[in-house]
Amino acid sequence: MSQTRAYLILAAREVESYFLAPLMFLVFTVFLVLNGFAFYLSLGDAAGNVDLAVRNFLGGSLLFWINILLVPPLLTMRLVAEEKRTGTIEGLMTAPVQDVVVVLAKFTGALCFWIALWAPSIVYLLILRGFGSLPDPGILATSYLGVLLLGALLLACGLLASAVSPNQIVSAVLAVVFDLLLFFFPLLSMQMPQGALRRGLEHVSVLFHFQSSFGKGVLDTGVIAVYLVGTALPLFFAVRALESRRWS
Amino acid sequence: MIEVRNLVKRYGDVLAVDDISFDVGDGEVVGFLGPNGAGKSTTLKILTCYQPATRGSVRVAGFDVLTQSLEVRTRLGYLPESVPVYPDMRVEEYLRFRGLLKGVSRRDIGRRVEAALERCQCREMRRRMIGGLSKGYRQRVGLADAIVHDPPLLVLDEPTSGLDPNQRLEVRRLIQDLGKDKTVILSSHILAEVEAVAEKVIIIHRGHVVARGAPSDIVRELGGWNRIRVEVKADAAAVEGACKGIDGIGAIRVEPLTDGFVEAEFDTTATHDVRSEIARRLIEHGLALREMTRPGLSLEEIFRRLTTSASKEDAA
Repeated sequence: MSQTRAYLILAAREVESYFLAPLMFLVFTVFLVLNGFAFYLSLGDAAGNVDLAVRNFLGGSLLFWINILLVPPLLTMRLVAEEKRTGTIEGLMTAPVQDVVVVLAKFTGALCFWIALWAPSIVYLLILRGFGSLPDPGILATSYLGVLLLGALLLACGLLASAVSPNQIVSAVLAVVFDLLLFFFPLLSMQMPQGALRRGLEHVSVLFHFQSSFGKGVLDTGVIAVYLVGTALPLFFAVRALESRRWS
Repeated sequence: MIEVRNLVKRYGDVLAVDDISFDVGDGEVVGFLGPNGAGKSTTLKILTCYQPATRGSVRVAGFDVLTQSLEVRTRLGYLPESVPVYPDMRVEEYLRFRGLLKGVSRRDIGRRVEAALERCQCREMRRRMIGGLSKGYRQRVGLADAIVHDPPLLVLDEPTSGLDPNQRLEVRRLIQDLGKDKTVILSSHILAEVEAVAEKVIIIHRGHVVARGAPSDIVRELGGWNRIRVEVKADAAAVEGACKGIDGIGAIRVEPLTDGFVEAEFDTTATHDVRSEIARRLIEHGLALREMTRPGLSLEEIFRRLTTSASKEDAA
């Protein structure tokens, strides 16, 4: 059987299971409430400047970062760890499907849910019209691209955490630790003396780039490349983690 | 269909499978027997490409499980020991998903799911969530999953564990039915299970094959200890006294019955028939003999002896 077909079947099942899981309804609800509140605060702080409001809402508020760092682990903790705990992994890995297809399908499911979480916030922007003007479409587009890319990166990390954990709890904790490390990277680089090390650290500080690039409407291919590599690497290691049962 | 050669599997320091080889021909139903922890599940996991062997080779339908894993996997239906199924899916939906994943075309999937539901008798449960099913139905759904893509080979790991006697009988019938047109390898630690469905058994113990062949052949070959059972009106001492010194008689076990009779069981290693000699001795001693039978050693007992005594294991 073609592996593309297997990918589509598995991905469809993954997406479906997100929208049928009770926990995900809860996550969705809490996320919408928090995000709505974040939007409300952003508007207040911007004092009528819609571009500033968008920048606050997408990257410039504490609530944004809480959502960004804590929600992906909730989405990914189940992915592989739960299959290992219940043993369904055995049925999955003995079906004629390659390990990489399993990982990509699970990643796709998580990414689709991530997009679904953020999609309603586009409605908020219509509200901005009430203030007289729409935000700069360039900033808007790059900011959402940033949310997508950063989400992909954190979901990939979470998927890796899930693949190396025996159960959901360990998986979630591990993913949060991952995310916090990413968050502290830029803080660490700011404490460093000027030099190659600091520049290198800044270069890979993905969260640092979020505001300096996406938040300003700038599309920097270097930054995008760092995000994409940061997504691909954990996915690659997740495949290796799945394969590790075959190592003897 | 299956060729296992010098298979070794080591988990760290534990040697789970120690150099076993066996073949399963097309269309055969083979029982894989052994006490818990003998290496049955490990061997099946290697066969289904879930885990690699430490050493040795396994070929399924001519394909190597390590290098041509996908080819092997499209040809087998596997029921793992714990019957893992997604609890949040409906039975029909689950079989549909699994069937498509295992290569059934969208055109055929409806028919295949229907056939699997029918064969495993879980049609009435098709709309139910798997999480809410009884153990017996879960097992059937697991079996339906194993056959939904109509594979030529079925690998069933303890397909009847945890079921009540009625359900066991049903699953046994189902396996017999499936065995008509498929190659089946099933594991169990209950001998009667396997004896009922398999034309060939492989008994493994501590990672070694200790016996193989048709159940009746194993009984014949390994049933070297014959037994003679008599009912006689006497006490234990009298029976032993009467039969002392008969050539080829081993231990005598005497159990009292209710009406003054006892049941005595003789183990014999004699090559000639000692029954008439026993009868003569008992009657000479004036003991009333009312029954004499030769029950023979059942496969169950051979299995127990093979898997409890270490010395016999090496001999076999």
